Amino acid sequence: MPNQAGKAYGLTVLCPLKQVDAEGKSVSIKIKNTLWDLQMPEDKITNEDSEKSVVTVRAPDFFFKHVPNTYLARFYILEDVFYEDYPYELEHLKSKYLVFTSNFYGDLEPYLKGMFENAEKEIKSIWQDCYGFDSKTINANSFADYIKKCQVETTFFFNGSVEPEPKNSPNAKARSLQEQLKSLYLKQEFSRFVFQNAHKKPEELLDAFRKFVQETQPEAEFPRWKAGGNDLKTIVEKG
Amino acid sequence: MDNAKNIIDLHDVQGNIMVNFAGYGCHKSRYFFLHISNAAHGRMFIKNITGLVSTAAFMAEKDEDGLIIPPLVTTNIAFTYNGLKELGIPTLTLQDFPDEFVVGIRNRASILGDDLTSAPEKWDAVYRKDIHLFISIDGANEALIEERYQQIKDIIDDSLKECKEEHLVPADQASGIKILDGCRDDESDNKAYQDASVVYEEVDGQKIPTAKEHFGYTDGISNPFFKGMTPEMGEVLGGGKRVGYGSPKSPASWEPIETGEFILGYKDEANEYPAAPIPKLFSKNGSYLVFNKFHENVGKYHAYLDAASQKYDIEKELLAAKYVGRWRNGAPLTTYPKKADAEDAWKVWSAAQWQVGKLFAAIMELKGKIATEQDPAKKDLLIQEKKKLLAEYFGAAANFKVINQTFTAFNYDDDIPGSKCPVGAHMRRANPRGALEFGNKNAFANPSALDNRRRIIRRGLPYGVPTLDSNDKEHGTIIMTIVSNIKRQFEFVIQQWLNYGNDFKLANDKDPITGNMGEEGGQMVIEGNPALPDDPAKFLLEIPRFVETRGGVYLFLPSITSLNMIGKGIVDPT
Repeated sequence: MPNQAGKAYGLTVLCPLKQVDAEGKSVSIKIKNTLWDLQMPEDKITNEDSEKSVVTVRAPDFFFKHVPNTYLARFYILEDVFYEDYPYELEHLKSKYLVFTSNFYGDLEPYLKGMFENAEKEIKSIWQDCYGFDSKTINANSFADYIKKCQVETTFFFNGSVEPEPKNSPNAKARSLQEQLKSLYLKQEFSRFVFQNAHKKPEELLDAFRKFVQETQPEAEFPRWKAGGNDLKTIVEKG
Repeated sequence: MDNAKNIIDLHDVQGNIMVNFAGYGCHKSRYFFLHISNAAHGRMFIKNITGLVSTAAFMAEKDEDGLIIPPLVTTNIAFTYNGLKELGIPTLTLQDFPDEFVVGIRNRASILGDDLTSAPEKWDAVYRKDIHLFISIDGANEALIEERYQQIKDIIDDSLKECKEEHLVPADQASGIKILDGCRDDESDNKAYQDASVVYEEVDGQKIPTAKEHFGYTDGISNPFFKGMTPEMGEVLGGGKRVGYGSPKSPASWEPIETGEFILGYKDEANEYPAAPIPKLFSKNGSYLVFNKFHENVGKYHAYLDAASQKYDIEKELLAAKYVGRWRNGAPLTTYPKKADAEDAWKVWSAAQWQVGKLFAAIMELKGKIATEQDPAKKDLLIQEKKKLLAEYFGAAANFKVINQTFTAFNYDDDIPGSKCPVGAHMRRANPRGALEFGNKNAFANPSALDNRRRIIRRGLPYGVPTLDSNDKEHGTIIMTIVSNIKRQFEFVIQQWLNYGNDFKLANDKDPITGNMGEEGGQMVIEGNPALPDDPAKFLLEIPRFVETRGGVYLFLPSITSLNMIGKGIVDPT
């Protein structure tokens, strides 16, 4: 079945780009800049050491962390088809495309609506110069319809979720994004536990393990990794 | 032909690759060089200047009347290897740049023949400094150039302020960008910029801009025509590559050259992508630019021409044409071996060109009047007048395109022995147009197989005050060569074709105009016509060095996307 692996969904979307925007500026250069700025957003922070109390900083961050259930999402501009080798005919695309791929947990329609509800501003800034996208009238429903129109059905997608739902298993259980983030947290913390306690005597080791279980709460929702986290020092979310 | 819009993103490629701005009314230029000592300031400057950088998008976006409206002032920017390094481009990306670009032009002097009076230690001081950035401004007049220059200086200052506000540099940081001085002109040898201008001719008390350089030759008539160019950007007949032995005036004889010979990221004549640094986004739509300041010894040129025409009993204008392969008015010698025919051809050619310019200026003036005219009846009359002129203009432009082919659409198939255009003439050396088969048809895969990978785009303008007798004042030509491979194209043409003669079966004869003649001087064969009893070959001896190198820089000319990446500091080769 295309697009799906268990409860994991691989969405691949090709949206044709206009060549120039309303001001005659190149759309592909504009979208590249928009995407670069979105992954390094400007933030105003208060800096007490500085003579200026509020300073602008840029740090890696991506708005997709606010889009529920996303394992992995990527954007890029497909400018033209790649020339393979002589003597094949050199072909060209009629327009450039914004390519959006997302690998998420669950079904397509609720995901797209959730994406719109949590990232409306960013969606409009990215898609505003695509053919057929009207940023004035777009809403969660019409966004879902638009994306479905541009969707490419494929079994060939990058799967960010490695555990599809084992259908025949008595313990059938899909790994939601939250469960994955919990698992990643536990894996990281357990590695740390092993390295720190490997040399201990059995009774000390048992104590340490009890402490580890208490701290990491393997059965509870939190603590776990933050969605969209990119810094190991700040990645743990206490809940 | 392929739709240009779909092959090359004209919004992304710097405009000087696609268009000769001088041909679109930018008759003045200023070139200057910068050194970066603070990467954060440098990147902020790149980020802030990128919006000013000129593309060729205007060529594809005609106005409501179908006219191409060229910019009045332009800005283009290119980097040396050291400049890219200073701006923090990652090592993995830098490692992919070719050796000749990494070591720079001064270290290639022996290959380029820059010896004796052309040696780098004789160059203007600025070209011996550590240049990081090169900026060129082309403009319709000096005031516009000066205004843009000041604007760029302001961007340098404002970028430092912005860096301080964002705490990217300490509050007491001195400017991390310096405009390098050391450009030489008649007043000073320590100027912060090199100015250049078309040479004007006075006709009936009016100063008329010409395409002539200081020896008096009409220059820049033929440039390569490659895939992705619109018909307005050049001429495939003579500008493209030869694909057969038919008439050079037939469209079936020429095809556009592969884009990858001039722009990175496209298929080249070897059916490969040109070698280019990663990531692809950083190099695609970029190119290499070789900046050269070539001094012209105008006095020596005229003195030699006078003496040689007497000594060898050859008419002076004809001898001047034999050096180059074109009459000084631009008519190709191989098509017009007789002076009277060349003059007639030039009259038709220049009148047709003049007509296009005149009509365009008249339409632009009318457009201005229409925009301000309040009276609807008068406005209507003006609109009717414009309609008439537009029809005339498009007719004149189409007419010139056909007439221009008399100056571009030729090859040497009927002149293999060189009795019309000498085999060693400058133009035939620099672009042999299939003549390297020496008449042995199908010797190679196609007639121009040996020259398709040696083509070069030339931009630039003359500098200095026109003269007929000076050698020592500052007069010459700024040539900017644009290629996707400096070694294979620019260096090869200079080393093997201009400063050597073996490929033309001319032993070690050098180009009579640009060759790096030694102290004993150069020599040139002017082939005679064996069919005529009184036209023996002539052997010019002791030709002095007419052209000397006074400066040069190897530069990377990135795309707008690449400038954005450099400015934001996000070039990521991983």
